Amino acid sequence: MRVKTMMFIQLIANSLIAGSIYSLSALGFTLIYGTMRFFNMSYGVTFMAGAYLFYIFKNLLNFPFPLALGLSMATLSFLMVLLDHFSFRRLRRLHAPSWAIVMASIGVAVIIEAFITTLFGSDVRMVRTGIQQGYKIAGATITPTQLIILCVSIVFVWGIWLFLKMTRMGKAIRATANDPHMATVIGIDTEEVFKFVIILGSCLACVSGVLVSLETDIEPSLGQPALLKAIVASIIGGIGNIRGALWGGILLGFVENFGIWKISAGWKDGIALALLLLFILMKPSLFGIEEET
Amino acid sequence: MNFVYHVLIMSGIYMILCLSLNVMVGYGGLFNIGHAAFYGIGAYVAAILTVKMSVSFPLDLLLSGVITGVFGVIVGFPALRLKGDYLALCTFGFGVVMHTIFNNWVAVTHGPQGIVGVPRPSIFSLPLNSLPSYLLLVAIVVSICFFILARVVDSPFGKSLMAIREDQMAAVAAGKNIAQIKIIVFCVGAFFAGIAGNLYVHYISIADPSAFATDESFLVFTMVVFGGMASMRGSVLGAFVLVIFPELLRFIGIPSFYAAQIRRMLFGFLLVLVILKRPQGLLGKYRF
Repeated sequence: MRVKTMMFIQLIANSLIAGSIYSLSALGFTLIYGTMRFFNMSYGVTFMAGAYLFYIFKNLLNFPFPLALGLSMATLSFLMVLLDHFSFRRLRRLHAPSWAIVMASIGVAVIIEAFITTLFGSDVRMVRTGIQQGYKIAGATITPTQLIILCVSIVFVWGIWLFLKMTRMGKAIRATANDPHMATVIGIDTEEVFKFVIILGSCLACVSGVLVSLETDIEPSLGQPALLKAIVASIIGGIGNIRGALWGGILLGFVENFGIWKISAGWKDGIALALLLLFILMKPSLFGIEEET
Repeated sequence: MNFVYHVLIMSGIYMILCLSLNVMVGYGGLFNIGHAAFYGIGAYVAAILTVKMSVSFPLDLLLSGVITGVFGVIVGFPALRLKGDYLALCTFGFGVVMHTIFNNWVAVTHGPQGIVGVPRPSIFSLPLNSLPSYLLLVAIVVSICFFILARVVDSPFGKSLMAIREDQMAAVAAGKNIAQIKIIVFCVGAFFAGIAGNLYVHYISIADPSAFATDESFLVFTMVVFGGMASMRGSVLGAFVLVIFPELLRFIGIPSFYAAQIRRMLFGFLLVLVILKRPQGLLGKYRF
């Protein structure tokens, strides 16, 4: 009986840790959809590229953790803004339908993944450092890395939340998300806002990629499952809804971890998809979905 | 010479895939970005039927089409309630999950090693062991598929399909049964993808999960966009050009690992470029 309770507490801890990463990545995805109105299918490779940049800065160049994280975020944001400038922005100007932008983002994703595979090969790379002694907290064993993951996620979520609520740019982003035309009318430069959203989105993707890389090996195919998780978490919470993405991520973490308790770990993606279908078909979302006309 | 046969056979298989995807995407406006899942189902059904149950060829071709078609209907039902982008997400998810199933359901799919030893088919106890004879078979099947699908999109059914793509509300107002049409399209598209999977697995003689990953879906999608949405001849041309073109990389002497990556980069680049510069593709009529 006691073993079972311990197991239960451990599972809850694991779910929270996994869920916090999902929340973080879903936050970026939902932010991009909310303002720019397209499903960014290159979000998964952004996540993976973030992990690889961190690998370059941390393991190959031996920078300390915060510096490496900051540098990879900056580099990734710069690259993504550049990419947007040459691909998606032109489509937005042409008033292309959203499916065209989705397809272009798939093309971008394929290019980046192939590029990184060419550079690093398709086998796994290690960012994490050996096996750590865990702390015992309320019956669950938590490693220092996992504590870092939790802290970094909380800090970033709070940061983004404050940014969106307090700053002028944050308000402009929310206004654009609410109604792009109206935002233009009151003098908000939506292209500028989009640029900022891309920076925020890439930072979030990068951070969650790095946090994942602290616990597992990284490989170029990391992106697609990550994209699927971000999609699922943000759809559960109502796409475009910031608070929803957070709870969606946590819920996904719980469902997945309790799911693989009963069936084997290879089915993780299957569980995620089942959740996605359930939410798309049965109930729109936790916090209400924005239906487009 | 064998190399030429190989390329021709593969482009034939991709032609069927592109034609079936074009009926869904180009004519129907149903954004399926998980087509490789249907392709894979067809291949696995064929492998299981021939290796484990020793079903003979013409029957197993039909069966893999039909069973994949059933899967198409199953995917089609949730798709009825979804609009454009959401459908793309769902089919993407379906693709990822089918890939997980191929990888993990070891009892049926043999996991990552795949099902090996699928024999070349024989028709009326005449085995098609040589490449030219198999190419002939593929060519015949491609022609039949082209003929059927071209008839489908030219028929009144195809017209209502395009009406739905253009304006769903107007199609409803004109008395079209949208649900039924969409389900049929999913079924037809999946059926032909299953046929392509069957031909593939009999040719390569192994059904392994890596051949049906999401990348494969994107590849086929690129071919359709490149050749031209809502153009049958465009799909044939797109598949032909995009299968042959990367093979030329081999002649330059690039190692196969890098050649594969360069090929993927080219496809991604091409997809972005076509959408930016010529959204109707080479021969297409539909554009935004």
